Amino acid sequence: MRRAARYLGHLLSHGAVVRIVGLGVGLVFIYASLDKIVHPDRFADIVHDYDMLPLVLVNAFALVMPWTEMVAGAALVLGLWRRAAGLLATALTVSFLVAIAQAEFRGLEIECGCFDVSGMSATEASWDLFLRDVGLLLGCALVWRRG
Amino acid sequence: MASTTVEPSKKPHPGGRCPLVCGALALVRRLAARCPHATRAAALLAGAVLLAVTFNAAAPLGLPWLPSPPGRVGIPRAYASRLPEINAAHALSLYRSGEALFVDSRDREDYEEDHIPGAMNFPMRRWAELWPEMQSRLPRDSAFVLYCYGAHCGLSTRQGKMLLQNDYDDLLVLDYGWKAWREAGYPTVRDLESAAD
Repeated sequence: MRRAARYLGHLLSHGAVVRIVGLGVGLVFIYASLDKIVHPDRFADIVHDYDMLPLVLVNAFALVMPWTEMVAGAALVLGLWRRAAGLLATALTVSFLVAIAQAEFRGLEIECGCFDVSGMSATEASWDLFLRDVGLLLGCALVWRRG
Repeated sequence: MASTTVEPSKKPHPGGRCPLVCGALALVRRLAARCPHATRAAALLAGAVLLAVTFNAAAPLGLPWLPSPPGRVGIPRAYASRLPEINAAHALSLYRSGEALFVDSRDREDYEEDHIPGAMNFPMRRWAELWPEMQSRLPRDSAFVLYCYGAHCGLSTRQGKMLLQNDYDDLLVLDYGWKAWREAGYPTVRDLESAAD
């Protein structure tokens, strides 16, 4: 068991593994940002539904957040400032986890706003999505700490 | 020979920059040396803000950074003048004259509890599911008054935005919604039923 953990730790600190994880996470972030950048009004509606921010901040958040995903994702894909981009991606993913968890605890039946915001294939915020984002968080944290 | 020494306190700053800028730059340099990744992450964030500002200024459906009034979140600048708000008295005059159809954007159970007489229910939270059926019931040449729960509920303005995007033009949003109508003491379905009893 200890040997397996040591092997896993060794594998995860390998430069190529970190680069591949960074590339994967970066592509996910870029893809996630696209529909939100094109439809900021729909994304603002979803941010409003999460009911976490003061109303005056909702539009500003809906405008800046997708570009933050895009910039962090692009930096991860290009391998520029990888650790800094990993840190930014980690912070974003933590905010997603908090948003989904509070929505679930409060019983809000709302769209996730994760990838599609224009209603073509919208998914509901749920504990399944929370678990998926935990996986994403592990990838982001790996790039941040070991990138 | 005259001395050219300058007193330390009056010595000009190098490059002519003010002490504030120099101090800020020194602070950034010190932060960058101490936590380079956080500083670079902040620089990436600043880049994202810059891109958001530029893209939003150029986008046809760009949003106002600060919604005004605050409840109108997610309404593009281009739609602001096309979704005027009216007060309860104006809504009552439209109700009495029959010049507009009333649309209740609230959830079905709230509509069933009580609503403005003649209003049809189109719960905004079920837009995608109900839109195919509702569009045949909403004539495009008619005027509509949209209302939801109260201040900042946002469902009626959101519905107005979606209707604008589907070629509806004559839309009005009842400011403070159902709450304003009730507080003004205007007729509701339950009032009419209890009067009939």
